[in-house]
Order: sequence, then structure tokens, then C-alpha cells
Amino acid sequence: MKRITAVLMAVLMITGLTACGEADPDKARESIQVIAMDTPMVFTAYGEKSTHAVYMAEDEARRLDALLSRTDENSVIYQLNHADGLGITVGEEVCGLIEAAEAYSQATGGAFDISIAPVVSAWGFTTDRYRVPDEAELAELLTHVGSEHITTAEDAAALDPGTQIDLGGIAKGYASDRVVAIFRENNVPRGKAELGGNILVMGDKPDGTPWRVGVQDPAKPDEEAYAAILTLEDAFIVTSGSYQRYFEENGKRYHHIIDPATGHPADSGLTSVTVVADSAEGNGTMCDALSTALFVMGEERALDFWRSGTYDFELVLVTEDGRVVVTDGLKDILTEVEESGYTYEIVS
Amino acid sequence: MKLTTKQLTLCGILTTLALALSVAENQIPLSLAIPIPGIKLGLANIVTVFALYVLGPGQAMLILLARCLLGAVFAGNMNALLFSLLGGVTAMIVMILLSRSRRLSVYGVSIGGAAAHNCGQIAAAVLTLGNTAPLYYLPVLLGVALFTGALTGTVAACLFRALAHTDLMKG
Amino acid sequence: MRSSPELRPNFWDALVALAVVLLAAGCGFAVWGGQNGAAALTAVVSVDGVETERLVLADTGETERTVESNGYTLCLRLTETEVWVEEADCPTQDCVHTGHISRSGQSIVCLPARVIITLEGGQPVDNGVDIVVG
Repeated sequence: MKRITAVLMAVLMITGLTACGEADPDKARESIQVIAMDTPMVFTAYGEKSTHAVYMAEDEARRLDALLSRTDENSVIYQLNHADGLGITVGEEVCGLIEAAEAYSQATGGAFDISIAPVVSAWGFTTDRYRVPDEAELAELLTHVGSEHITTAEDAAALDPGTQIDLGGIAKGYASDRVVAIFRENNVPRGKAELGGNILVMGDKPDGTPWRVGVQDPAKPDEEAYAAILTLEDAFIVTSGSYQRYFEENGKRYHHIIDPATGHPADSGLTSVTVVADSAEGNGTMCDALSTALFVMGEERALDFWRSGTYDFELVLVTEDGRVVVTDGLKDILTEVEESGYTYEIVS
Repeated sequence: MKLTTKQLTLCGILTTLALALSVAENQIPLSLAIPIPGIKLGLANIVTVFALYVLGPGQAMLILLARCLLGAVFAGNMNALLFSLLGGVTAMIVMILLSRSRRLSVYGVSIGGAAAHNCGQIAAAVLTLGNTAPLYYLPVLLGVALFTGALTGTVAACLFRALAHTDLMKG
Repeated sequence: MRSSPELRPNFWDALVALAVVLLAAGCGFAVWGGQNGAAALTAVVSVDGVETERLVLADTGETERTVESNGYTLCLRLTETEVWVEEADCPTQDCVHTGHISRSGQSIVCLPARVIITLEGGQPVDNGVDIVVG
């Protein structure tokens, strides 16, 4: 009797344990919203360690915010920008980011440039005190823009006097790379992360279908209107658009994506550029940098760059004249939005 | 309630022991293995079970109240008081009722107490947070209570066996 | 010794264990079983990354909430179907301009006050999207 009882209890306990263990991992879902890097972020993860994963993602975003901020006096970037031409130790991580930014700058013929920061500030986009700088001022500022003014070595960096950098163009992309790494470390089977305009989707949805990602219609920035819908699994998606930040003066609209060649808002005939790549670590940074660069380059040069195969990515371009241009890698996963009024073109 | 010097001493020692066990189990990061806030082994329950049988329900309750109060004071966290009180008192009531049934061994009483303890804590969480989200944890916590209850039951049984021939048990 | 305790587990202990297992299973079913997809539309308010309030719209009915954070005050209005920021003393007023939100996944963000209000749950929207990029 005692033995039977003991066995019975053991069985009961094991049932109890497996009952907990077998709980559907999709029921374990955690989603948090934070504000970091001056933008709202949402981290959603599934799986047993989802809670741990999203809070680690939050910590990482805050760490990078403090490290890379251009306005925080304690950040490495602030110190580098105010080192008066002296080289300082920035650490291998920041050095690696600067070098990555340099590589994207070279690859895109300077269309992406982290040293454009003082020009962006001159237009008031860093402080919200918008103004149109005069040509002389821009010309002077542009003499300090360019890769040649930045030097890096191992864990140190130096800027020529007058040059300042802002990693804002890749910081959120880099953060999304870190999030994907954190999610993987925590065995998150599926999840998503929104870091401002930087999106990461991991796995598929709990119902087994891919994530539906709406590309904001640049013509209706304040509405729930999409220029296209993409169904994706395991991907980074980043959009740069002239509608995201702009001001108007004397009836003319000035947006925040500055062409490093002219010092003026890029006038490329595009209203938004969406870059899509698979969720390999590093691609978040790439998508972030390329979305800005390809917006500056315009439709023709952007498509040429895509065709060159330098990097592995796909594109959705929305043009001022009402077309949505899609590269053929996306043709099977793109849903056209009829009521948007756009005409769709697949290019290869 | 009138206490003899022996009973009073025993109450004091057991309260101290319960507090020490509470502190000790906080060093065991059980929440790393099972990521649920507030998950514990409930080692202090051993003292409650022991006191319940040796000193009776009244004094066992006194020890419990003293343990919760002092624990909260030491931790400097009065918010935790509601949690430990609600959990502890619920467990106590269930264990008193279960121990009345002579058929149950210390194992059954401990498991019942551990389960009740978790129910009480979740109730406290629902009360303080004002929403029902913590209920989500209850099924898992109850499953875990089977093990922690059996564990404390085993320790209590060993304790009774070891002390079976001492004065203590002849109160 | 008030009562001599049984020191060996017996059949009745197993019954207690069984009762606990059944209770766990019952709770599990009640908590996890019933919420598939049909969760009610809920407004989640978070301040500086910390969730402060979770309001089921259908239950709360028409209400007002004042959210104070980072030196700013937001006046939040809720009905059974919508949420919006009625008034705020933040410099950008983006939260007020966002207007009414009524569908799962939509959110109102006030950067200066570091407040995010999001709608969760509710019926999935036809042709809806899970995330918006841009």
C-alpha cells in the first residue's frame, strides 16, 4: 500500500510538472513599450523567456542611447564631437559602428554620411528650432563633411576640427541587430520589435502565418493608410521618408533627409524608401543606413545600386508621381493597396 | 492565551528559525529556473508545520504573525507584508483544517499548505495591482506547490523522527 | 505533543496532491483556455517604459484619466470604443494631434512626457497589418 501510494504521488507530481512544462509557448508572450533614442519602441517576444528577453532588449536600447546620443554630454559621441580634433578612446563597439558607417558611405558614394550632423543641426532638425540656413553657412559647414575627416583605429577615433558625427542614421538599426541577438540568445521563437521606423520581425505569427507589415503611405502620414503591405518572416524592414519630419517656410517644405552633396533636403523624386533584408545580425544596421542613402540617391541610382548586388536586400520605393516601385524579390509577398491610388511596378 | 516559559522560549526560537529560513531561501534564485515573480521554496513553512503539531494552532499562528511582521520590518518593505500575511494565514488555516484529519500525514498537510500559500499570494497580488493578470501564474504556482510542499513535508517528517524521543515532543 | 503526526505519505496525501493538480488544471483552463483571440479591447498606458494601467474599454465605459509624467500632464478620455488625449501641456502636442484610436495595435505617443497609450486585444481587423513601417 505504501509503495503504491508513493508511486501514485510521484506520478501525480510528474504530471504536475509536465503540465506546466507543456504549456503552449505562444501563451507566454511579453510586450513592452519604451521611449529610447528619442523614439517610441515596442518589443514583443514569445516563448518561455519572453519576459527576460524584452527587458534585456529595453536595457540594451537604453545602453546604446546613453552611448551614442549626440546631445547627452556623457556619451562617447558627444565627447568625440567636442574633442577639438584630438583622438579619444571610444571603445571597440563605437569604433566598429563608425567604421561600418564609413563603409556604407563609401559604397553609396557619400549619400549616407554620419558627418552631415552639423548641417542637419543648421536646419534645426536636432533642436526643433527650424530655419533655412543661407548658402554661405551651408558651404562653410559642408567643408567639414566627408569620410576623410574621420579617423579610426582599433578602439580610438578622431575627428578633424569642425567635423561632428551623428550615428542616429544607424543607431536604431544597430539596436535592432542587438535585439535580434538577444531574442536568439533567449530562444525566442517569434516576436517583433519596432524601434521608431526600424522594424524587426522574427519567425512567423502564432497562427502560423507571416507578419503583415504595412508600408506607411507617405501621402497620408497621419492616417492608417498603406502604400503596400508585405508579408514577411525573419526580416528587417526600415523606411526613410520625407514625410517623417519636415517644416514649412514661405510655402516651401523642407524635410529632414539632407543630401550630403548639397547640404539641402534631398530632392530625389522619392517620398519614401523601404529597405527589406533577412534577419541576419548586421542587416538591421545595413537597412537603416541604406534607407537614408537610397532616398538621397533617387529612383534610378537606388535601383542601379540594388542591381549591383553589393548588398543583399530588396526595395519598395514610393515616388512623388504616385508610383510604388518594388524589386522583384518582393513580388510574391507584396499586397497592393487598391484604395491608395498608386500604380505598382515590379523591377528586376 | 497563556504560555508556559517553555512554550514561550520555543515560540521565540521557532520564530527566529523561520526568519532565518526566509532569509536563507532568498539566497536560492529559484526564479531563475522558473521565471515567475515571488516564487519561493517556502522553507519557513517547515517551522509552521512543526509548530502546528508540537505547539498547536494558536501558537503556530502567533509564530507566523511574528515572522511576517518581523520579516517585513527587516526587509524594510511593508508592501511585502500583505503578500506574506495573506499567503501565510491562508496556508495556516488550510493546514489547521487538514491536520484535523488524522488520516493525513505531514506530507499532505504541507502540500495543502503550500498550495494555499500560493493562492493567498496571488490574491494579494490581485488586490494590490487591481487587475487579474497575476491569476495567469496561479496554475504554474500550484504545480510548483506540489514539489515545495512535498519538500517541506519531507523535512518536517525527518524533523519529527529525529526529535521523536526528546522532551520537546512531549510538551 | 498535541497530536502525533503521520510521518509517512499515504493514500490520503495522494488525494490532497490530486486535488491540487485538479485545481491547477482547472485554473489553467480558466485562465489560459478562454482567451483565444477574443480578448477584449484594452488600453495599455505605460510611463517611461513601465506599464501603469490596463483598462478594458468595454468594462470602464466613459471615463477620464489624468496621466502625470516627466513634468507634464495628459488628460486621457476613454469610451467603450475609443481612446484619445483630450488635453496635454506638452510642448509638441503630438499626442493630442494623433486623435482618436479605436483599433488593436494603434497607439498614442507623447515623447516629452514619455507616455505611450496602446490598444491591445479586440477583434482582428480585416486586411489589417501587424506592424506599420514608416
